[in-house]
Amino acid sequence: MNSLLGLEQKRGGLLATLAAAGIWLAAFGVDAEMALFWGYGLAFGFVLQRSRLCFASAFRDIFLLQHGRTLKALLAGLAVATVGFGLVMSKQIPNPTLGFLPPTANVLPIGLHLVLGGLIFGFGMVVAGGCVSGSVYRMGEGYVASWVSFGGILLGLLGTAYTWNWWWDFSIAEGPRIWLPTYLGHGGALGLTLLALLGTYLAVVWWESRSGIVIPESPFVGREEPDFRTRLGDNLRQIFVHGWPVVTGGLALGALNVMLFYTAHPWGFTGELSRWMLGLSNALGFGPGALQGAADLPGCTLEVGSEQGLLHHMLFLVWGMVMGSFVGALFSGEFKLRRPRQPRRYWQAAGGGLLMGVGATLAMGCTIGAFFSAIPSLALNGWVFALCLAAGAWLGVQLIQRYE
Amino acid sequence: MSLKQLDVRGEICPYPMMKTVQALKKLTPADAGLEVTTDHAPALETIPTQAARLGYTAVIEETGTPEWKIRLTRQSS
Repeated sequence: MNSLLGLEQKRGGLLATLAAAGIWLAAFGVDAEMALFWGYGLAFGFVLQRSRLCFASAFRDIFLLQHGRTLKALLAGLAVATVGFGLVMSKQIPNPTLGFLPPTANVLPIGLHLVLGGLIFGFGMVVAGGCVSGSVYRMGEGYVASWVSFGGILLGLLGTAYTWNWWWDFSIAEGPRIWLPTYLGHGGALGLTLLALLGTYLAVVWWESRSGIVIPESPFVGREEPDFRTRLGDNLRQIFVHGWPVVTGGLALGALNVMLFYTAHPWGFTGELSRWMLGLSNALGFGPGALQGAADLPGCTLEVGSEQGLLHHMLFLVWGMVMGSFVGALFSGEFKLRRPRQPRRYWQAAGGGLLMGVGATLAMGCTIGAFFSAIPSLALNGWVFALCLAAGAWLGVQLIQRYE
Repeated sequence: MSLKQLDVRGEICPYPMMKTVQALKKLTPADAGLEVTTDHAPALETIPTQAARLGYTAVIEETGTPEWKIRLTRQSS
């Protein structure tokens, strides 16, 4: 029942593509920006599904499997995004040494909130079996546990919002926002960030070399016939059916992130998720109310809502990602409603999701906003968050290895 | 000789791989190997890698549905 056969899935894929195009047209009728962000969402979701790129596994597998295939793919994507972001920011702030920060780049306050946020988020994503973006794309593939995680994330964001003002006074308000070009100039900051990415890459290779065997990814095997039709079919199968090498996914995400930053702001979505929860709870009268300073911070900081109500361009990005992954899963014949058999997995998904919501509030972003969009912003907070994520993921690995 | 069966369908990441590794470690010399049924695509990368570390070769069979069978047998060398 739950597993559709290949042909049915491909027909479903065509229908889903038509539906996605219909929503794009409808959105375009309301607002061109919404249609544009729907398109970005579809692209991000499709790339994540095709390359099976999961930020949680990038950090987890370093400890669990001692291999860094996914982490190396992210480093490649970060390098692309760093160059692109650097170019955009050098236009925004031609003279960085005056102390102005680029308005939309994810340069966020550093402090205990960020350290705790990274640890809690890293732990939560390993327990839940996927981070926020991982859960979003697996929702499109039919993983029931990922929908449960998503609910946990929403509740975690709302719950922690009630403590925001305390955290603001305690650590966020005084936290330094360190943008490397202020001290090193654009070229120096770009060079240093690329060198640090290279250094991390070498450290990952060294770590892998200590663990022995690593199997290369299974290559795509095409057919022998030289005619155009066969070749075209093979190329399409390679894109739509065969899983992409994860590094292709990392590079594509890095490039998409640059395009998104050039259009409006870097990739991220926990800010948007918080907007739904805070907008709703405040409208119903039990919300956390005003949040000190949050409106002045960029990235995925909590958002209390806007005059636009629910129809915000970021709404289209988030659900576009679910839709893009759904389309990708159908064309490759990988869509299936997957329900864990052990009831405990639902608790893990919900609890891990809740912790991710807590961590994303404190760190003002998830693996996307506070990491994948922060390091290319040439912001020190991205590196601090990454280290804490890794430490949190290590703690999570200790837990899942002990209790299955 | 028939392979021992392990069904990890429905499991969330990374349990398909972890349960496979556990089952491989429990095989006795009398067992020819293990056949894992999974619906988790990322496991198609992780299971062969971890199995190789324990001395097993993997063959992945597509079933035409979003489920795969991974046959793990001892490397002969």
